[in-house]
Parts: sequence; structure tokens; C-alpha cells
Amino acid sequence: MAQPPAFVFNILETPEDQGQDPSPYDESEVHDSFHQLIQEQSQRAAEEGLELRVLPQREPGPETLGASGSGHQALLGPEGVPDYSTATLRILASMPSRTIGRSRGAILSQYYNRTVRLRRRGSRPPLGGVGRSARPSLRLYDLELDPTAFQEEEKRTLLVKELQGLTVAQRDHMLRGMPLSLAEKRSLREESWTQSGKQRGPQGRRGLLPCCSRLRYACGLALHSLGLALLSALQALTPWRYALKQIGGQFGSSVLSYFLFLKTLLAFNALLLLPLLAFIVGVQAAFPPAPADSVPTFTGLELLTGGGRFSHSVMYYGYYSNTTLNQLCGPPLDGSQCTPEAGGLPYNMPLAYLFTMGMSFFITCITLVYSMSRSFGESYRVGSTSGVHAITVFCSWDYKVTQKWPSRLQQDNIRTQLKELLAEWQLQQGPRSVWGRLRQVAILGFVWLLCLGTTLGCTLAVYAFSELMIKNPVSAEREWELLALPLVVCLLNLGAPYLYRGLAALERHDSPILEVYVAICRNLILKMVILGILCYHWLGRRVGALKGQCWENFVGQELYRLMVMDFVFTLLDTLFGELVWRFISEKQRKKRGKPEFDIARNVLELIYGQTLTWLGVLFSPLLPAMQIVKLLVLFYVKKMSLMANCRAPRRPWLASHMSTVFVSLLCFPSFLGAAIFLCYAIWQVRPSSICGPFRTLDTMYEAGKVWVRHLEKAGPRVSWLPWIHRYLVENTFPIYLVSALLLAVIYLNIQVVKGQRKVICLLKEQISNEGEDKIFLINKLHSVYEGKERSRVGRAQEAEMPPTLPADERDAR
Amino acid sequence: MGQCLRYQMHWEDLEEYQALTFLTRNEILCIHDTFLKLCPPGKYYKEATLTMDQVSSLPALRVNPFRDRICRVFAHNGVFSFEDVLGMASVFSEQACPSLKIEYAFRIYDFNENGFIDEEDLQKIILRLLNSDDMSEDLLTDLTSHVLSESDLDNDNMLSFSEFEHAMAKSPDFMNSFRIHFWGC
Repeated sequence: MAQPPAFVFNILETPEDQGQDPSPYDESEVHDSFHQLIQEQSQRAAEEGLELRVLPQREPGPETLGASGSGHQALLGPEGVPDYSTATLRILASMPSRTIGRSRGAILSQYYNRTVRLRRRGSRPPLGGVGRSARPSLRLYDLELDPTAFQEEEKRTLLVKELQGLTVAQRDHMLRGMPLSLAEKRSLREESWTQSGKQRGPQGRRGLLPCCSRLRYACGLALHSLGLALLSALQALTPWRYALKQIGGQFGSSVLSYFLFLKTLLAFNALLLLPLLAFIVGVQAAFPPAPADSVPTFTGLELLTGGGRFSHSVMYYGYYSNTTLNQLCGPPLDGSQCTPEAGGLPYNMPLAYLFTMGMSFFITCITLVYSMSRSFGESYRVGSTSGVHAITVFCSWDYKVTQKWPSRLQQDNIRTQLKELLAEWQLQQGPRSVWGRLRQVAILGFVWLLCLGTTLGCTLAVYAFSELMIKNPVSAEREWELLALPLVVCLLNLGAPYLYRGLAALERHDSPILEVYVAICRNLILKMVILGILCYHWLGRRVGALKGQCWENFVGQELYRLMVMDFVFTLLDTLFGELVWRFISEKQRKKRGKPEFDIARNVLELIYGQTLTWLGVLFSPLLPAMQIVKLLVLFYVKKMSLMANCRAPRRPWLASHMSTVFVSLLCFPSFLGAAIFLCYAIWQVRPSSICGPFRTLDTMYEAGKVWVRHLEKAGPRVSWLPWIHRYLVENTFPIYLVSALLLAVIYLNIQVVKGQRKVICLLKEQISNEGEDKIFLINKLHSVYEGKERSRVGRAQEAEMPPTLPADERDAR
Repeated sequence: MGQCLRYQMHWEDLEEYQALTFLTRNEILCIHDTFLKLCPPGKYYKEATLTMDQVSSLPALRVNPFRDRICRVFAHNGVFSFEDVLGMASVFSEQACPSLKIEYAFRIYDFNENGFIDEEDLQKIILRLLNSDDMSEDLLTDLTSHVLSESDLDNDNMLSFSEFEHAMAKSPDFMNSFRIHFWGC
């Protein structure tokens, strides 16, 4: 315990009890919360002319910080306090209650139990899984329930002994997690070190070997300063550490989650870019193909359109050769007839392109699914209701916020949130007529219909415009016209959400969080549908329209243009949306008029940008590098705008769910769509015949098949690879089998979770039954003592003699 | 000999603190610097103490509505030694394990220190959160009854530690919000 409260024992008692000043460290004493009740009781008893006898103090066993349950069955006195006698209160105070961790001895017992359990396990358990609960109860080794009374010193020695049995890392991990003060942890550590006789002991050994120890200290100092230098270098490398802290301190966790998501996206793009750079771009840059006939000069327009000079660079698919590089013999068509000379390291470019793309996507998929499942697992618990009120009360104050104005804003937010929660509950409780419900459903359906209609309208507009672009092909001099389609798409993406927001004002949702989720849903549908129609336009129509030309280059450039336009519009939106709004609101002198940082819209923009990258990486391997540059610039621009122009959002956003939602949205519509597009492009579409690494093949996938055929001819040594390809990859039966197995595993897991939910319900019932039992027993105890008191009073009144001291003590015992 | 030229702290002490808390070495040295700036000059850092008012007025805790409870829970005998400050920073650091945070959060929120979070504690928490005393009684009682109905499993109108832990253990909101960055490190 950190702070012993002031404790004065004023109760009318036997003379020997007066003058005692018990402290909470004395575990068998009564806690001061009982002092009040006991005092009232004894005063009341004294008024009635009784002399109160005190039960003996030394109750062996566990801590006495129990409390009386003032539940439904408790007897309530006139003030609402349970009207128990002093004797009952004393017994209640010595219950082995649930708050067994409050005193030091109890903490020592708890960690003794845990250490014992850790040691007696056969294998070395993972340190992270030592148990989330701070208070595990293991009946077998539970010191709490051990009938032989352990004093605190004995518990401490036992704990030290057990700690010695652990390894150093486990010991430190255990000590770190103990809720004791640092001084006590140090002494525990010292005792377990010295008694195990390790070399690196306490300071006492220093005097023994002065020159060696001086050398050691010198080395230690040098290492220390080296370590500090490394640490500061590492911190300089982890970018934006201070910036993120600043944002979190000023705006809270919800706005911070946007920036953390941005950082995550950077990591994903870097992960995607590295294999591409190493295996495709780097190699092709080292062995450039024969230069094309007419390479246009660089004009500034290429930065926007991606064409021109850039078309003949490593940036696009068309530049990559379809031969085996570094072969040091005559240029063969598919590298099968050439025997490489000594010193050559043949590099099959088409195969490398196919495999690297597939590998990068696979790694990204695994990483995404892993991070999604991890953040989902952290916030989901079987059988638990969300407990939103408890979470609001205990978790809504963000301790990171350190400035005055944001903290006041936080108070306002919490107040609004609490009021909304209660209003929501009241609304649900209120009588809802059938007519009202029907009306609400009708309005909801109508608004959804309007929104979907808007989406359809936008999609048709994009489709019509793209058909128009096919019909009127752009000549080489008017390349800027190529920017028309991306411009239209970006304008629609900008304008439709405002329309949705206007339509959403018509409907009234019960909870504001639902409103936000619905808005995200609608915006996401719009973006994905537009991207879908564009994908159809490229793979379905452009391939046909650009026969004889390099359609992959065109698709790559289209995606480049879309990315650039999206970036430009984001910057403009940040500048004009937030800056101009701030000026307007300042002019109207509304202090709270600063625009909110709209997290949902910004996150959706990030996801959209990332989808474009994933869609385009097959046709433009350097697109992730562009995305990285774009994200870097966006971080600083958004941060600057945030600090200058915005305030934290008023909507109650649960920061925990947000990161899960963001990563899920990134995985499911975004990455899945890109993966489907990639698979279709690789498996079904005929590559163009004049450019790219697959120009002579029917599909891009055939490069792999060619290689497998090559291997088959290579001989029996590597025959297992073609075998795997023929019977496991090409054959559909193993895929069906694996899918069926996965479905079975998922079904089994669902059943297990259902069973766990049932068990949890039963346990909850049992806990509440136990609580009722306890209250019943307390009342019985109270009635027993009351009966005794009454009979004693009766006897005393009959005898008309003051009760003697020993008799009463005997009675009370 | 044995003392780092820049810091008063011994290297071995630094290692020990780093092993026993969830703080990094850099953070411990930052806290050491700030501690020395606040405590009276010339005193060895292990003997110097800070009052609860000094710690309450640190920038990290200044606007926290629970700063008095935080100081009360982590101080010994009404003052903060260097190790108390380290202990406090360790509990609030990002790497601290959830069980430790939940344990100390329970102690902080238990205003009357009876080992339970009862209705009186809950009302005090809500009033502190909103920093106003003019909350309607109905709202308060409604809210406390909702919290108790959600988290109180054995129907005794109080939250014991197990019930509190059960409510908070799987909530990353709690982990995210129960963090303080001390001293700009």
C-alpha cells in the first residue's frame, strides 16, 4: 500500500485497546472503512446502556479488507447503511475477500503462487503468456487459502526462494510486473541474486579487486556512452516519434490513430517495394534492353501524365525484356537453346517478374491478415457484451493529453458522449410504436436507395466518359487530355461524399457511432464501384482497343495519373477545405468554429490511394516508391494543417476499434479487390505482343509453365517440382480438398466458441448465485448475533446487574 | 570513479532500473535529469524527495483530473523519492503489461480506499471526468447503475478487482488511454 490513511481508533473499548494505532500494514486489523460503521454501532449500543466487548484482534490468516455486501438482501438501516452489529462487522472485515491484492503480503503470496506455477511447468512457458490476470488463483499452491498462517516475512522468503529457481530473464519479467514499489522490487532482486551466488552481485564486491573493477567500469562507461549514442541514433531513425507524441498530446488517441495508420501503410509499401527493387527493377536497370527508336524528350508534363519520357524507363512494364539476361551468348527467344558460358549468371526475366510479383503480394497478404487478426483478437472477447458505459467511464479519459485546451475539449466530449449514451438507452427503453418503426425503416430505405442511386449515377458517368475516351483516342500532341478521366473520377470522389452527408441528415440514427459507420460504408462502396468499373474498362475494353500497342503501359500510366490526381486533390482539399474554413469561422468569431479533423474521410482516402498502388504494381513496378513519397509528403502536410487549422473530432471514436476497422477495410475490399484484379490479369488476359516480359506468351502465367516444362526436360533430379506443379497446382482436386478442410476447421472453431459462450453464461449465473448466498449468510450471521445480543440484554435486565467482564468475553467468543 | 560524467547515476543502478521497470535507459536518464532539476540542488538523487504538489504540477499530470489520486497511490509517506517516480513512469509507460496497469488503475479509481469501487467512487470519478459539480442527480445515478449492471457480476453494488479487471482486460481502449509520456522523452 502506498499511503496509510490517518487512522484514529475512537471506539469505546476496553482500556487496553485504547492508544493502539493500527495501520493497514497490520493485516489483521480492521480497515478504516469499517471504523465508521463500528463507531456508529458502538455509539448506538452505548446509548442503549450496553458495554461493548471487542472481539480478539488476532485473527490468523489472510487480509481483512473485506467489505459487507450491501446487495439486494441486506438489511438496510434508516440511513441506507446495512445495520449490522459490531461483531458481524468484525467478522465481515476478516473475510478472505476478493480484494486480496491490496496489501503487500497478499501481493507476495500471489506472485509466489504464480512463480511456483511457472517453475513447475515442464517446458519453459512464453513470457507473454504468464497470465493476463494479476490475481490468478491456483488452489493447489494458494498461500491465501493455506490454513497455516504465514506472516509477511515468511511469504517473502518463500517468494525469494521461488524466484531463484527461475532464469534471469523470467525473474526480471516477473519482478517487472509486480505491483510493488521499486524499492521493494530491488530488495527482492538483490536477495534472489545474492542467495543464488551470482557473479554480478551487489556493490559489496567492488572493493575486492580495485584495478580490475576500474577497468570494468571504464569499459562499462564506454559501452554506456556508445549505447546511448546508438539509442539516440535509433530514435532519430524511427521517424516522427516526437511528432506523434505531440499530436497525441494535443488531439488525443483518435486523431493519432490516423497518423499511425499512415505509418503502417508506409511499412506495407516498403515491404512491397523491396523485393521488386531487388529482383526486377535493379536487374533490368543493370542490363538495359536495346534502346527504342525514338525516345521523346523530357517535358514537365510527364510528371502528371506518366507518359512520354517515362514510358521508356524501368517505371513501366513495357521496358522489361522477355529474355534471359546476362546469358553471354546469342540472344535466344526463350533461353532454352543456349548453353551459358562460364562467368555468366543467367537471369530469366519473365519468370523473375512473375514470381516476384506473386511473392510480394503473398507476403503482403500474410502480413495484412496477421495484423488484422491480431488487432481483432486484442479487442474481441468471447461472450462479453461491450460494456460501453463502463468503458466510457474508465477508459475515455486519455491520460496522454497534457494541454489545457484539449483537456477541456475532452471533458466536453465525454459529457456529450455520456449524455448520448443515456439518451440512446432511454430511446430504446421508450415505447416505440409500430408506425414509428415502420416510418424509420422507410426513411432508412429511401436514403439508402438515394445513395445507391448516386453511386450508380457516378459509375455510369465514369463508364460513359471512358467509352468516350476510347472512341476519341488522344493524339501525341495533346497528352494533357489524358488527365480528363482521372479528373472526372477525382471530382466524383470529392463531391459524392458531401451529397451523402446531406442525405444522411434526413435519417436519424439511434447511435452516432452507427452514423459514422454507415457514412464510411457508403463512401467505400462508391470508391470501390468506381475502381471496379475502371478495372473493367482497362482489362475488358482497353486491351481490345489498343491491339498492336502496349496496353500494359497504358494501364500503368492510367494508374499513375489517378494517383497523381488523387494526391493533388488531397492537397488542395487540405489547404482549401481546412484553411479557408478556418478563416471563415474566424471571421465569424466563433471560437469553436475550427473545422474538425474528419478521420473517416481521411482514412478512406489513404485506403483508396493504397488500392491504386496495389492495382498498378503489376504494370508499373515503381508505383510503391511513388506511394511512399506521397505518404511522406502527406504526413507533413496533414500534420501542419492539423496543428494550424483543426480541432479534435466531437464524435466519440473508440480508438481501439478504429485501428481494427482500418486494417480490416484495408484487407477486405481493398487488397482483395487488387488481388482479384492481379489474378485475372495474370491468368486470363493476353499480354501485348510488342512489349513487356511476356510478349510471346498467351497468358502471363505461361511463363511459369514454360519453366516447369524446362525443368521436366532437365532430368530426374528435379522431377519433384514438375510433379508438384502438375498434381497440386494445376489439378483442382487438392484445392477442393484444402478448402473443405479449412471450412471444417472454421466450423469446428465456431462450435467451440458457441460452447464457450454457454459456459460463460453459466459461470456468470453461478457468480451471481454465490453473491446472493454470501448476502444470505451475512444476514443470518447478523440475525444470530442480534439474537444473542437481545438474549443477553434480556438476561442483564432480568438480573439487574451489570454484566461482568469475563462473562461477556466468554459470550462474545 | 564509477559515476558517469554526465549523470549522477551509477551504471549498475541504471541497469537495475532498466531491468526492473518497463522504461528504456534513455527514458530513465531523462527522468533523472528532470528529477534533479526539480529537487533541491546539491542533494544526491537517491536521497532527494519531491512533494506531491511538485509532482502534481508536472506538465504530464497538470491537467489530469485524477492527479491527486495518482500521487497518493504512488507516493510513500506523502513524498516521492526517485524510485517512486520511476515506478509511476513505469506503470504509465507504453510497454507496461496490462495486468500492472489494471492493478494501479483500480487503486487510483478507488477513492475511499476500501478495496472496492462502489457507487460513491463511481460518482466521484464521473464528476472528476466532467470537472463540474453541476451534473444532475438523475444522470449520475443512471450512469452508475448502468456501469454496475454491466460490470458487477455478483450483484453487490460494487466492483471488486476481479470484476474491474474482467471489464478492462480485453479493452485496448484502456491500454491506449492509460499512458502518460513523462518529461518529453
